[in-house]
Amino acid sequence: MKQNKLSYKIQQYLLFAGPGTVLFFAVVMVPFVYGLYLTFTSWDGVSATKPFVGFDNFVQAFTDGDYWLALGRTAIYSVFAVVLINVVAFALAYLVTQGIKGQNFFRAGFFVPNLIGGIVLGYVWKFVFNRAFVAIFSATSLLATTEGAMFCLIMVSVWQYAGYMMLIYVAGFMSVSKDVREAAKIDGCTSSQAMRNVTIPLMRSSFVQCIFLSITRCFVVYDVNLSLTNGEPYNSSVMAAMHVYNQAFTYKNYGLGQAEAVILFLVCAIVGVTQVLIGKRGEVEA
Amino acid sequence: MKKRVLAIVLALALALALTACTGGGASSDKVSITIFNSKMEIQSQMEEMAAKYAEEKGVNVEVYYSSDTVAAHLSTRYAGNDPYTISMVDAKDVYSLAAEHAVDLSDQDWVKNTTQAIAIDGKTYGFPVCVEARGIIYNGNAIEKATGKAFDPTTIKTTADFQALVDACKAGGMENVTGVMKEDWSLGAHFLAEVYEQHDDPDAFIAGIKDGSIKLIEDKKFNDLMNTFDVLKENNYAKAAAISAEREVTEQKLAEGEIAFMYGGNWDWSVINAYDYTDKMGMMPVPNDSGDGSSDKLVGGGSKYFFIDSSANTSDEQRQAAKDFLNWLVFDEAGQSFIVNDCALVPAFSNITLAVQDPLGASVKSYADNDALIGNYNYLPDDHYAKVGASFQKYLAGETDRAGFADEVTAYWATAEVGAH
Repeated sequence: MKQNKLSYKIQQYLLFAGPGTVLFFAVVMVPFVYGLYLTFTSWDGVSATKPFVGFDNFVQAFTDGDYWLALGRTAIYSVFAVVLINVVAFALAYLVTQGIKGQNFFRAGFFVPNLIGGIVLGYVWKFVFNRAFVAIFSATSLLATTEGAMFCLIMVSVWQYAGYMMLIYVAGFMSVSKDVREAAKIDGCTSSQAMRNVTIPLMRSSFVQCIFLSITRCFVVYDVNLSLTNGEPYNSSVMAAMHVYNQAFTYKNYGLGQAEAVILFLVCAIVGVTQVLIGKRGEVEA
Repeated sequence: MKKRVLAIVLALALALALTACTGGGASSDKVSITIFNSKMEIQSQMEEMAAKYAEEKGVNVEVYYSSDTVAAHLSTRYAGNDPYTISMVDAKDVYSLAAEHAVDLSDQDWVKNTTQAIAIDGKTYGFPVCVEARGIIYNGNAIEKATGKAFDPTTIKTTADFQALVDACKAGGMENVTGVMKEDWSLGAHFLAEVYEQHDDPDAFIAGIKDGSIKLIEDKKFNDLMNTFDVLKENNYAKAAAISAEREVTEQKLAEGEIAFMYGGNWDWSVINAYDYTDKMGMMPVPNDSGDGSSDKLVGGGSKYFFIDSSANTSDEQRQAAKDFLNWLVFDEAGQSFIVNDCALVPAFSNITLAVQDPLGASVKSYADNDALIGNYNYLPDDHYAKVGASFQKYLAGETDRAGFADEVTAYWATAEVGAH
């Protein structure tokens, strides 16, 4: 059989990529398109009929004040969390690549929070904030105030993701060859100059990756939000994803919730892609 | 050759194991029904009952539970054309689901034995699983210890009576007398809902708030109940950080007599039960100054309803088996005992005379038997509890005053619509 025939190519494609393609369409594309269709209906999530309402849901979504509050809140949360996650992760990565004693143990240790599911983690920290801290400092719980609850959410997210991002930064550090750093040293760089002018520019792809991952995760945060604060106090810590869930399932406005989810997806995609494009532009190679 | 034989034998063995897993030994001559249970605390009892029922009646019963929102969970089953034969849902779900998904049960014998069944347009769809009611849960033991006097809950009629009793407890050495659950469903769907429910015509009252003819802040009932709530709020053991009070901690303190009062319902027994509770616990109405007899009545009624699926995915044999099962719960001694003794629920049927075991349930039963229950208002919108609950939390935390709270509730009703009924 000729290898450049179309039928041969199709056969090869189906053989190797076929199962993946089918799965991808079944669990990503079909639900996504069906979800888009549902944004044009006023379906309540249960009923057998799905009345078509055109763009009503999007109009409603744009006038849903609570949703935009939640989205704004998510943006603020994301800014703080992304910066802190990456600063902490970079610092940790720096520490555990300096050849300190037991650094493999520390790497594993810092990574562990990421292995605990968000729900469990939220409950554990809720206990710490509500009981342990209150008992030790005999203060009122941070979770009882609006700013406190946001602070707790940011802190727990940093704790959860810093270890994961640390691994990527560690790989970045390892990928910078010793030669260039040595050359910089011989040329008279102090070690902080070498870090700033040689190592960090060469690690740029790690930064792009880490920031992309942390932005996208922060924007759709749900599990920690649910188990740590559940939107309390007085719905002041409801993030966008939680608002979408409540809108669709608890308040039974499935079409509206789906429309808000699509908007969240677009916001998230625009921010993420812009960041990657800007980040990639300045990438350099040694 | 040997290897190939071995491989075939192994493959066959695996295939057999697989079919054994999926087959589940469901013999074809037996009817199988599925029950969706949305009451987490009785799941293990339901499963045991299902096994026993299957053995005695020759009907396979499978019980499922989900912690999802009831409607959200059922919607996935409807979408998959795999509905439960019998679903246990909240009252409001019956109104939203019955027309499309439920069988008319008007001809069943149990209908005349209950006042709590849900009928829409004259057709009965919802079978009441139990009666639940709201009020103030007290720890009589703790009160008597603190005041040194016998405690009779029926003597507490007005806010002043309640305040005096709280003061007496304090004077007797009880540091904090009350606890307040900060959960939005407790504040919004339970306490605030009493304001609607204690009006003679809740529909008219809500319509009045909507069109502005009734000012909530000037409403006597609202103020009477909020006055009592203020007593609870002021003496709250977690007053400094009311929003971070955890339900389990509050109920533990109540069970062990560290505090004496908490607003709640008889379902709270499943939590209190887990702690080292004292005797003489019970429930009393929310005392208030309305003088309309509401200080003598708990608020509540049927809670959790069974309905039977009407779709083509359920066969007539299954539907008949499901109807038999509901009748078994009401008329068979084993079924009655299951509800009252095994699940510790308050039965909603007048022919069931078994004594309720838990003290809160016993209180509710005695009020129900004396016809002293103010009915639930089941038509609040789905987002009511979350939105006004959040406003109520602000009030509880001292972030807003009563007028501000009333304004937020009024603003909520400006756009919200009560469910069709």
